[in-house]
Amino acid sequence: MKLSREEVNDIALESRLLLTEKELDGAVKYINNFLDILDSFKELDLTNVEPFSFAEALECPLREDKVNAFTNTQGIFNESEHVDGSYFKVPRIMED
Amino acid sequence: MELYELDLYEASKGIKDKKFSPKELFESCKKRIDSCEDKIHAFITRTDGTAPVTENPNGIFAGVPTVLKDNLCTNGIRTTAASKILGNWKPPYDATAWKYLREAGAVLMGKVNMDEFAMGNTCGNSAFGPTHNPNDISRVPGGSSGGSAAAVSAGYVPFSLGSDTGGSIRQPASYCGVYGMKPTYGMVSRYGLISYGSSLDQIGPFARTIRDLQLVMSVLAQYDPMDSSCFREKNPDFTHNEDASIKGKRIALVKEFQNFTLDAPIAEAMKKTQKVLENNGAVITEVSLPVVSKYAVACYYALAMSEAHTNLERYDGVRYGYTVNDAAGIKEMFERVRSYGFGSEVKSRIIAGTCLTEPSRCDEYYVAATKVRTLIAQEFIRAFGECDFILQPVTPSLPHKIGEEDEDAMKGYETDLYTLPVNLAGLPGLSFFTGYDDATKLPVGLQLIGPRWSDSEILNAGMILERHLGSPKIANGGVK
Repeated sequence: MKLSREEVNDIALESRLLLTEKELDGAVKYINNFLDILDSFKELDLTNVEPFSFAEALECPLREDKVNAFTNTQGIFNESEHVDGSYFKVPRIMED
Repeated sequence: MELYELDLYEASKGIKDKKFSPKELFESCKKRIDSCEDKIHAFITRTDGTAPVTENPNGIFAGVPTVLKDNLCTNGIRTTAASKILGNWKPPYDATAWKYLREAGAVLMGKVNMDEFAMGNTCGNSAFGPTHNPNDISRVPGGSSGGSAAAVSAGYVPFSLGSDTGGSIRQPASYCGVYGMKPTYGMVSRYGLISYGSSLDQIGPFARTIRDLQLVMSVLAQYDPMDSSCFREKNPDFTHNEDASIKGKRIALVKEFQNFTLDAPIAEAMKKTQKVLENNGAVITEVSLPVVSKYAVACYYALAMSEAHTNLERYDGVRYGYTVNDAAGIKEMFERVRSYGFGSEVKSRIIAGTCLTEPSRCDEYYVAATKVRTLIAQEFIRAFGECDFILQPVTPSLPHKIGEEDEDAMKGYETDLYTLPVNLAGLPGLSFFTGYDDATKLPVGLQLIGPRWSDSEILNAGMILERHLGSPKIANGGVK
């Protein structure tokens, strides 16, 4: 097993996820199985292989560098319970 | 014949010829939905309270109704991605794909079910419960775009939109007995599609005829400056051409896939389809894809999970969706919102993606996967130097019963081997109907894939296959 329960739980916390004991059991099994499968990459010689990009990268479409205003700002604010004027207000960031 | 039974071309023509009104068509579809929906459960949100007026009565769709997978943003209409975390979110803008359909005269019947954030292949991993296959309601419709496929199969609407990150259009199309097209990556704007794996995601249509797929693709395949991966000047021609031919086309089977076991109805469909192709002048050949067949599944999930972990960081409860109001600090707020809002499959994939992209493991896993992806794309380029299309299954088996999912998640993922390499290489893929299995009466689909930007040629080949294999019927939808 590559990752212990504690390590998987630490990764979950990094992702801002609190797992139940059952979820943690499932995640430990899931990730360790997955990492075992990814070990198959070691069978390939990837030394001189470039990371993937679409073959047409050279003709990557560009658009004019022009700002187009998004007008439905009220539509955005209507969806949040944390609006203060024209800002989003969040709970305190610094912890005790 | 009821109006809901018409395909898109017939429905649009009927309206334009004034044989019936858009409202009459809309009401017929609505009645069909009312009679089947408690058995199928395709919808997350219905918007068919009253018949909307089409924006463009002279457009291609002329008032024909459609449904959208619930990861396509609709201005002012709830969009959930089948997740609790989006709550009752009403986007402040339309996805470009939906905007194009609207402007061409389509009207919306509602938003349909999917696996949460498109992560799954059964349409059972939804916060809104599972959708059922209209051909046999005890079985899964496939996923993740299961609601979009089921709605077309059951005759709710003549066409719909879904999205395909690793097979999410092609597999449910096959399971439900309809046609489904995953376009070339870059052909259709992804603006307003809720992201899962951004380098893999692509929007595409479902329909009951190839001609209808051609109609929808002719509207969807337009350049959009709002999506930087959307190409201009490709000008694909999706005009329906009855005289299109596959004479002399080289259609390959994948050598390595011949060693894998297929259920009998799918193996028989492969043989039957090869005969049809040969009888129409195509040459059946073979290509070798050793890296694809051995490493594509691992490569795909490594990249999809890594991209998903980044894309899903934005769900924090501040600007939209499910939230809490009594958190002592921002960390507590994020943890409570995300822990409650995401389902367990999504959480597992986020954690896996975080793990693979951590600095200590990134080179070993994520960067290695991007290099394996290069090998896979190169392998396809070589293969398409030797053939025009590749014929292969969509899945090795017919849809299973609801609740019979494989407990070993990785084993379940391996059934995606036939679909997900297409996304890794950004290729177009058509899932087409070949007939019904005698024993189970379930539809059997196969897949034709081609080089990048060969979408219209694939659909022409699909039209010839439809002519000889037959078009699917509307499924009974659980109604005797």
